[in-house]
Amino acid sequence: MIQIICPFCGKRDHSEFSYGGDGEITYPALDANEESWHDAVFLRENIYGRQIETWQHIHGCRSWLLVDRDTKTHEIFSVKLAHLDWHILLEKNR
Amino acid sequence: MKPRRVSPPISNYKIPDYDINFFWNGKKLTAKKGDTIASGLLANQQDIIGRSFKYHRPRGVMSAGVEESGALVTIGDGAYTEPNISAPTEQITEGLCVYSQNAWPSVRFDIGSILNQFSRFLAAGFYYKMFMGIPPFEWGRGTSIWMFFEHFIRKAAGLGRASRLADPDIYEHLNTHTDILVIGSGPAGIRAALTAAKSGADVLLVEQDFLIGGSYLSQPDKIEFIELTEQLTAKNITILTGTTAFGLYDDETVGLIERVSDRHENITQKLPRQRFHICRAEKIILATGAIERNYAFINNDLPGIMTVSSARTYLNRHHLLVGEQIIISTNNDSAYETALELKNAGANVTILDAREQIGDNLLQKIVSNQIHLYLGSAVAKAENGFNSASIKKIQIAELGKNGWQSAGSLRCDCLLISAGWSPVIHLASHQGFPINWSEENACFYSSGNSKTIFLAGSAAGIWNRQGCIQSAIDIFNIEANANDSAHQKMGGWDTPIKPLYEIRLASLKGKAFVDPQHDVTASDIRLAHQEGFISVEHMKRYTTLGMATDQGKMGNIIGLSIMADALNAPISEVGVTRFRPPYTSICLGALAGRHRQSHFKPIRRTPLDQWSLRHSAIMTEAGLWRRPWYYPEKGEDLNKAYIREATTARRSLGICDVSTLGKIMVQGPDATEFLNRIYTNPFAKLPIGKARYGIILRDDGMVFDDGTTWRLAENNYLMTTTTNNAASVMTRLEELLQVRWPQLKVHVTSVTDQWAGCAIAGPNARNLLTNCVDKPDEMSHEALPFMGVKQIYLKNIPCYIARISFSGELAFEVYVPSDYAPSLMQMIWQNAMAFDSCLYGLEALGTMRIEKGHVTGAELDGRTTIDDVGLGRMASANKDFIGKSLRSRQMLASPNRPQLVGIFPKDKSKKFSAGGLLNEAGKTNSHPLGWVTAVTYSPALGHWIALGFIEGGLQNTKDKQIILTDELRANFLDIEIVSPHMYDPEGTRLHG
Ligand SMILES: [Zn+2]
Repeated sequence: MIQIICPFCGKRDHSEFSYGGDGEITYPALDANEESWHDAVFLRENIYGRQIETWQHIHGCRSWLLVDRDTKTHEIFSVKLAHLDWHILLEKNR
Repeated sequence: MKPRRVSPPISNYKIPDYDINFFWNGKKLTAKKGDTIASGLLANQQDIIGRSFKYHRPRGVMSAGVEESGALVTIGDGAYTEPNISAPTEQITEGLCVYSQNAWPSVRFDIGSILNQFSRFLAAGFYYKMFMGIPPFEWGRGTSIWMFFEHFIRKAAGLGRASRLADPDIYEHLNTHTDILVIGSGPAGIRAALTAAKSGADVLLVEQDFLIGGSYLSQPDKIEFIELTEQLTAKNITILTGTTAFGLYDDETVGLIERVSDRHENITQKLPRQRFHICRAEKIILATGAIERNYAFINNDLPGIMTVSSARTYLNRHHLLVGEQIIISTNNDSAYETALELKNAGANVTILDAREQIGDNLLQKIVSNQIHLYLGSAVAKAENGFNSASIKKIQIAELGKNGWQSAGSLRCDCLLISAGWSPVIHLASHQGFPINWSEENACFYSSGNSKTIFLAGSAAGIWNRQGCIQSAIDIFNIEANANDSAHQKMGGWDTPIKPLYEIRLASLKGKAFVDPQHDVTASDIRLAHQEGFISVEHMKRYTTLGMATDQGKMGNIIGLSIMADALNAPISEVGVTRFRPPYTSICLGALAGRHRQSHFKPIRRTPLDQWSLRHSAIMTEAGLWRRPWYYPEKGEDLNKAYIREATTARRSLGICDVSTLGKIMVQGPDATEFLNRIYTNPFAKLPIGKARYGIILRDDGMVFDDGTTWRLAENNYLMTTTTNNAASVMTRLEELLQVRWPQLKVHVTSVTDQWAGCAIAGPNARNLLTNCVDKPDEMSHEALPFMGVKQIYLKNIPCYIARISFSGELAFEVYVPSDYAPSLMQMIWQNAMAFDSCLYGLEALGTMRIEKGHVTGAELDGRTTIDDVGLGRMASANKDFIGKSLRSRQMLASPNRPQLVGIFPKDKSKKFSAGGLLNEAGKTNSHPLGWVTAVTYSPALGHWIALGFIEGGLQNTKDKQIILTDELRANFLDIEIVSPHMYDPEGTRLHG
């Protein structure tokens, strides 16, 4: 069972989290054209190795997280709050 | 085979010595306390324990552990029946009922054994071939003959049978944490636990046997073991016996099944039968031992044939000598100690060693103890006696110039096999750690990950006890870890092992089993190869090798070597299939734990749950929620009740619990901007004190959810969502605010459980509420217009009230903090008595929304666009919102997309039900034009109606004759496609 270290709550079982998606996608502006939205919504790399993913600590603090994880070994290299301002604030006050 | 009890060796190891009774197929037998079912049955000279899976061959005890492939039994009666128990692992308790399996009428005379004569037809892949009519089944192609046979074969094949009754026992789940988890309590496991504990770490030592000790228990001298057990009482060591580590998972998580109490005891003691531990450790030591292998020769499955180590266990642990004339066939050193012990216990012992030379030490010991030794020899065939299923004689094979050749025969009453040892690397394999083949030791091995997961003892391929113990110490010795060469090397025998997987002489015929539990023979493997299944993964599935309850713990390697031989490649290149959890069979009840029956999932009760029940509500499940379904009066059924409720609400007044709606507070300086981006329709200019219906799309332009949002103050909104999507909308809003638009200053809070609500609908709704307020003006149309929201006191209860209608009638929704809900409802209901009124439930709510053509989850199923449901006007052209871009994809604008419509039967007296498809008349066999999403009887219209989708919508079907086809119920109905707004399309009633 994977365990994820939530920056806010500490080490927790993955059953407390829910998977979001590819964390490296930059969604276009709301008024962007169909093609750029198509690419952002439908085109995905199927990475066998390290990738940035979004997860939500849904049964915890409900933070959305950016998790740097290896899909092959399940090793987790880093976990950050997706809201980077909050992340910086949290780190500063640690 | 006539096993007999012998006197235990004199030692200070206390063993309980009293008799207990158990029942074997109903017959009372006596065993000793501490016996397993296998040792108890052997002591009673029960050589045949069961019949085999496919050929119904008689089978006896083949081992003394979890690898057992022959002695499977069923224990217990009625609901307590448990099939496929491995007889050597289950302890006998007083009064235990044990039954043989897969035999009728009895294990000694079994009609199914006739299948043994038809085995030509039952070889690998016979099912596939049978149905395809492939040789030798070509004559059966297209006939019903095989259908008949299939029925018979399915019935005859198999293992034990489950009771089909509900499991009466209790199982529990635990989260267990420890610093060091040691799996296995033999010499390596105990040493690992003691070494780890010395450093102050918390240690959990688990043992699958009901006693700790592992191989210590099978040795005659237990002095060392007794000393060790005294040290294990250290307070940072926890020992769990009868506990199987069945699977190794990510991040050092191990699944443990602890067998807590015997079935008979737990009824009185209220103990759980088993506990399922999810165990997390910092470090895991796999001291799981090794399993002795057999090899393939003809009739290697006869009762009376077992592994050498099991004979040792039966002798030294259960004081049971398994035979008088014992032949040992081996290819390694490990069998010799047992040979001496058996000889000393009074048996005649002969050793066949496949090796042509052995060390002088061994040789002298054997010769001086009058044990006969045949070097370069093995068994070619085992034979049973006349009138006896057990082994009586063997045909010997001898290594000659041209390989193995026939070399006479020997009589015996017991044959013990040791064809090498396989380290138990299953758990390491679960995690995908590398598995390698050791040519020198003829076994697969693994090294774990050398960071957190280690193997020690014979699980690491170390064969002598001192080496096993040292390997456990090494794990905790930092210097040894730094310098790999200091590690204990695999092996440990004087004379190297000689690989021995199969003896096959052309002159001898018969079945040589690779996997006795699934009746897979050596020739099945060759057949699979011949038919092109050359990958081990394919071979495994085609022959079912290793797919029985023992998962081929003894036989898999024989199969791999035969495959390697056929491929003319080394075993290392053939590879091994990955082991999958569970290591041994586990009870599904333990995995379910307490999550069964009413505890299977949580129930969400609304704050009005008890109030509704007191008012005769019949409840229904809506997701996790329990909601009033209908409120029957005087013996009404569902149909009568909901028709009355909907009729009353439209005629006068109805009251409904709507607390389950999702409610989210959206607050902050950017709240308006945020709502404006997520809803398709504009929210920027929503006045304070007003509500607006809105639709949320997904990024891909499909409808996600809908609901009303109320502006309570400048930067303070209450958003309502559908009951079903409350959680996913909340998650979505949080994602947008934290991941996509972190610059927006908005906070969202779920308040679904904090606020309760009730809907008050019908022409008398305002009259009722006017009676509840101090000044009648407060409820006037001007004071509370359509979609107006305000705070109000109803008989001194502070509430939020909104003029919102889901029913299509003049209606209000009143919200209070949850704790006030029963008081509010009681007050409203008392005041409603003055009117022609009713409480209405989910069914009447549904009826009224179908009449109005309001969409819910049945229509908004993730495949519908805002245009499909006729709400295209809700999409603003003057602002940007989520989903706007992809919503305008060309295909989604096609006028032929299925669109929401209303459905009437042509013959208004006809009833129909949900689940039908819409076809054009005369084309009922072609792809349907649409489908039905919701059906109800409409009291307002006086006939059955439905909502559904049809290609091109109302516009496109005007001239077509449409038929509702319900193939399952053989129902075909002429229907009329109408506007989805079937009742009061102008909305005049809404405005009172
Ligand atoms: Zn958290």
